[in-house]
Amino acid sequence: MSNVIVNRVKEFLKRFPPFTFLSDATLGLVAKEVEVKYYAEGEYLFRQGDAAQSAFFVLKEGIVQLAEHKEDGERVVEVCDEGDVFGVLALLGKRPYILNAQAKEDSLVYAIPVGVFEKILEENSRVSLYFAAGFASGQVVIRSDLSQSQKARSEFKELSKDNGLMIFTGQSDMNFSSDVLCCMTGKSIGDAAQLMSEKGVGSVIIIDENKFPLGIITDKDLRNKVVAKGLAYTTPVEEIMTTPVITKSKDEGFSNLYLTMIKNRLHHLIFTEDGTAQSAVIGILSDHDILLSQGNSPAVLINALMNTWDVNEMAKVRNRAELLLKYYLENEVAMDFVANIISEINDIIIQRAIQIAKNKIDKEFPEASKVKFCFLSLGSEGREEQLLRTDLDNALVYEDVPKEQQEEVQKYMLLIAEDVIETLLICGFHPCPADMMANNPKWCQPISVWKQYFSNWIITPNQKALMHATIFFDFRPIFGHKALSEEMTDHIYNEIAGKTIFLNFLAKNALLNPAPLGFFRNFIVEKTGEHRDKFDIKLRAMMPLADIARILVLSHRVVGINNTFKRFEKMAELEPNHQELMLEAGKAYEILMRMRAIEGMRSESAGRYIQPESLGKLQRQLLKNTFAPIDELQKIMRVRFQLDYFNS
Amino acid sequence: MGWFDFLSKKKVSKYDFVLEYEALFEKRIPKLRPVSQLRFAVLDTETTGLDTKKDYVVSFGAIAVKDYRMLVNQSIETYLDAPMQKEASLKVHEILYPVGVTPLKDFAEDLLKFVGNDIIVGHHIGFDLGMLEKIMVNFGLENFLNPVIDTHALAIRLEKGPHYDPRMGKPREYSLDALCERYGIALDDRHTAAGDAFLTAQLLMKLLKLAEKKGIKDFGELMK
Repeated sequence: MSNVIVNRVKEFLKRFPPFTFLSDATLGLVAKEVEVKYYAEGEYLFRQGDAAQSAFFVLKEGIVQLAEHKEDGERVVEVCDEGDVFGVLALLGKRPYILNAQAKEDSLVYAIPVGVFEKILEENSRVSLYFAAGFASGQVVIRSDLSQSQKARSEFKELSKDNGLMIFTGQSDMNFSSDVLCCMTGKSIGDAAQLMSEKGVGSVIIIDENKFPLGIITDKDLRNKVVAKGLAYTTPVEEIMTTPVITKSKDEGFSNLYLTMIKNRLHHLIFTEDGTAQSAVIGILSDHDILLSQGNSPAVLINALMNTWDVNEMAKVRNRAELLLKYYLENEVAMDFVANIISEINDIIIQRAIQIAKNKIDKEFPEASKVKFCFLSLGSEGREEQLLRTDLDNALVYEDVPKEQQEEVQKYMLLIAEDVIETLLICGFHPCPADMMANNPKWCQPISVWKQYFSNWIITPNQKALMHATIFFDFRPIFGHKALSEEMTDHIYNEIAGKTIFLNFLAKNALLNPAPLGFFRNFIVEKTGEHRDKFDIKLRAMMPLADIARILVLSHRVVGINNTFKRFEKMAELEPNHQELMLEAGKAYEILMRMRAIEGMRSESAGRYIQPESLGKLQRQLLKNTFAPIDELQKIMRVRFQLDYFNS
Repeated sequence: MGWFDFLSKKKVSKYDFVLEYEALFEKRIPKLRPVSQLRFAVLDTETTGLDTKKDYVVSFGAIAVKDYRMLVNQSIETYLDAPMQKEASLKVHEILYPVGVTPLKDFAEDLLKFVGNDIIVGHHIGFDLGMLEKIMVNFGLENFLNPVIDTHALAIRLEKGPHYDPRMGKPREYSLDALCERYGIALDDRHTAAGDAFLTAQLLMKLLKLAEKKGIKDFGELMK
């Protein structure tokens, strides 16, 4: 047999799943048995109702269309291109084909005899999993649905369990103590302390007669609220306990539980029977339990950030977070978890930076430093989507002050902002090229001016206003007085309510970016310049989705959801008729975020430009699949906001 | 070789495998047999040069095509030791062969088994056959008996009609590279015998489809 020819077949196959998962030797066996079939345009590979052939197909060149024959004509189900695998379902199910397969162009097809592959399916669990994931839902071509490929990929990862950071160890591995120290209400602090000391634990849960948790007392409470204040040890425990307590069910899933603890800065999370405070305590998870099971974990990083005032130290921690991010991305950890962790770390850095600034500056401005303010993150950071340390977009809003105080207050606010930005730059963030940062006097203003800004953008939606809208409408309070940001949100919704035409402008703006795929289903790449022949994933795929999500959220008056993918999830709830599309769009966005971040880490850039050829087949197909919801959504927008009749 | 060389040339008695091969041609392929039922042996050789008299086959590659299918498990790839094909060394049959190099007799036998009575196909196939016949003659086979298709000639016939004079065209217009490019066949590692056979087989399938569209649907028409 010719090695050159077998090798050539092998080289082709190994670029595409499921063949990517085969060892070289096994792939060789497959390649040897391959028949290369040629079909001229218009010819059928098989027809609906035909008995299954003894081989399934991999498209080498050309286009094959799978269509269902109906009384009123053909309905196209799939269009396959290079590397797609089809004709498996009939083979595995040992039943006739349910679709017509027709060559739409002259096509070269590799026919893989079922005999050789059945053996591999038995031996190689990853390959059978791949098929199972694809076909469980009756898929006809291997690829297509985003959730399926995501599932398939994450399941592979589990097989090659690596012991890196142990972030996703199974729930059974999660150690929490089910032997919880509890204490009834009405007992004295002294009694409680004695119980703690006897058991050698740092906390006690205060329960009622039903064993429902009411509050918690920790070593710290005893120190700060009792000893330091000279409180009598006979004081009932309910007077000093922290209440209410956050409770969860132990079945919540590790990432969720972990996130709850990180977000709420909890050292202890109480498990109850049904997860609410209205059921009996069954266990407790401490941050110590988590730290023991993890090495370089988010908790460790956050802890390190919370324990330093040294900016260089913060920068080091942020660099370590990048390693964590890399690990997460490589291991397909759920995107909402990853985005949450990284945003949380970024938020803490900003919060610390502001405190550092305040410690430096406040004493020189005794009056101005009392003015309430709120530091806002904008753009992708505002949406909790900034995985890489790309450009900073932020702003500062403070309460209105009497005229004579104005100058002094703005001076103070700008000094704070300036200092914060410097700290962030040291921590590896990049300045915004358009200067949309809190240290720009224009974006460091009292609430009344901000309201005016938003009103102007909404009332006169010119190009610049719309550009600002896409960035500033995604603000999120990071530090300070949240009421100020809430006031801004209310103001925006009130303004829009009277000027719905603004949404039409915004919608039109969202559709300005051309579709990501060309007529020939290839990527639209940059035509000129430094990024020639590269695909701008931000402009062509992510921005359209983020823009549409924003408009939808605004039109439904949803408050407090900033994530693009969470916005789509919310839309799935609010628009049940588009539920599937919205969920798909959310997933698409998560995939794009992941791809961009991976590219960014690889090329040490913002990850914006991707070379389509450098992607593997699965990645490329995944990327293409993310475009489907964009196209669908744009059509909906066009109708909903009547953009075809609407010329600005 | 001179005019009277045939007198001095010793007659080699036919080997058994040659006799077996010749027996296959007692039955001719029916003219009406449709193209899809024909079996093609697509082959290519790499040689030390272009002179059939002086040069030798270095490697040989072939793949079978039937019903527009290339059968990968029916492909062969052989490396030959060129100097072994010289008259002098050919007489010494029982010498040790380096690893990976096929003894000439084994090759000749394998080759005839492979091609059987298939239609032999190649690009500029006359040259390859000439080179191969130089080997086969040592085992008693003067000429291949198979029907032969030259993809070079077939492409010209299909594109320009049967009466076209190739000398009128641009040079290299019908080279394997040019044709592969024209017919959208990916050129990967060219210039191994098996690699070129693989390309030629793809080209053949495309040309046969084209031929069918032009009404060339059976063996008789194809060989006209």
